[in-house]
Amino acid sequence: MGDEAQTTSTTVSKEITSQPNQDELILAQQRQIEKEISDSTTLVGELEPISSLNNEYSSDEVYLDKVKDLGEKYKFIRRTRPDGNCFFRAFSYANIERLLSKKEDYNEFYRISEESKDVLVSLGFQQFTVEDFYDTYMEVLKKLKNIENLDEAHKELHTTFNEQGFSDYMVVYLRLLTSGQLQKDQDFYSCFIEGDRTVTDFCHQEVEPMYKESDHIHIIAACAALNTGVRVIYMDRGTEKSCTAHDLPEGCSPTVHLLYRPGHYDILYL
Amino acid sequence: MAGSALRRLMAEYKQLTLNPPEGIIAGPINEENFFEWEALITGPEGTCFEGGVFPAKLVFPPDYPLSPPKMQFTCEMFHPNIYSDGRVCISILHAPGDDPMGYESSAERWSPVQSVEKILLSVISMLAEPNDESGANVDAAKMWRENREEFDRIAEKIVRRTLGIPT
Repeated sequence: MGDEAQTTSTTVSKEITSQPNQDELILAQQRQIEKEISDSTTLVGELEPISSLNNEYSSDEVYLDKVKDLGEKYKFIRRTRPDGNCFFRAFSYANIERLLSKKEDYNEFYRISEESKDVLVSLGFQQFTVEDFYDTYMEVLKKLKNIENLDEAHKELHTTFNEQGFSDYMVVYLRLLTSGQLQKDQDFYSCFIEGDRTVTDFCHQEVEPMYKESDHIHIIAACAALNTGVRVIYMDRGTEKSCTAHDLPEGCSPTVHLLYRPGHYDILYL
Repeated sequence: MAGSALRRLMAEYKQLTLNPPEGIIAGPINEENFFEWEALITGPEGTCFEGGVFPAKLVFPPDYPLSPPKMQFTCEMFHPNIYSDGRVCISILHAPGDDPMGYESSAERWSPVQSVEKILLSVISMLAEPNDESGANVDAAKMWRENREEFDRIAEKIVRRTLGIPT
């Protein structure tokens, strides 16, 4: 009797060694693909003309018409890495970038950001884990605030958002702010969540974890959290010749413009 | 990147030392390397693992806390959610989408605001209430379901071994 546990575990371990878990192999392959993406795309790219999109769709009439239409409305595109964080990274970058040239608005944004940690803690987030991201977020905002020269500030923003450590922490903090917003107004947001998940479950599973892609509900809550509006230009395989624009929240005057192609967001410039 | 992981791990270590949760001791094996921890987990009262002190190792990735650590018991274990080599298989150790066991959608997942403390508390509840749907150890899951008496006997033996009492 004394050896039963031992015997059982030896048999099982043999099975595991001879048959590697299929799911784990799939995960390993997924990691490999992610690594290839990150090796080939910067986190946030330089400004490029809209026509640069033509290279991606050289023989695709549907998309070429839409790129032409887009080019009539926008001058530049700034690409972001397609790693599931693209909305949060693009939105955070574009929002700070536009605020840099509006001192008063930036200061107001800074003030609201400073208070945000206490709001999150009051919603039940653990203080010391939130602090980790908040401190980095404020460090970046403060550094940018103190740069007088606008070009210098833009350069610093770009460098910061391309340093993985800082960039990812900016993404995490905006995810937390978005989660906080959803939980604060859960009566409103609960109608948009499918299935029987609560708003809090949704936040734990779809908003707070890194690399989880964003949907309308994330965007609306992120806009509310940063007190601004976004225009999302949809470019997909639909047969109409022009792209469709959606302002989120509806009826806002958008300050940030994003291009959405199925599964991915980039930043647009008028 | 490793700089922020280190800062965070030091903060967590401090937190766990100042306010240790009941039944848990955890910290770096060697203060030169904060990315490998040892934890001692006490078997929850009123369960077949009561009284045991189970050692485990936690290994943190360089992008912690964006990605979760891995956890492995270093003593003998027999439990539906622990592989026979000691690796722990619970939902909080996986980001959503990373789904080797197909956890239910409501299960608690890894995110950067989770912590070592939350993981260890989840492991304690796992010891108390195995999830026999996710069979990391199929034999243990089957025995838990069909022959609880035998399962309890094996658990008791493991408890005694962790305490160095002859079985």
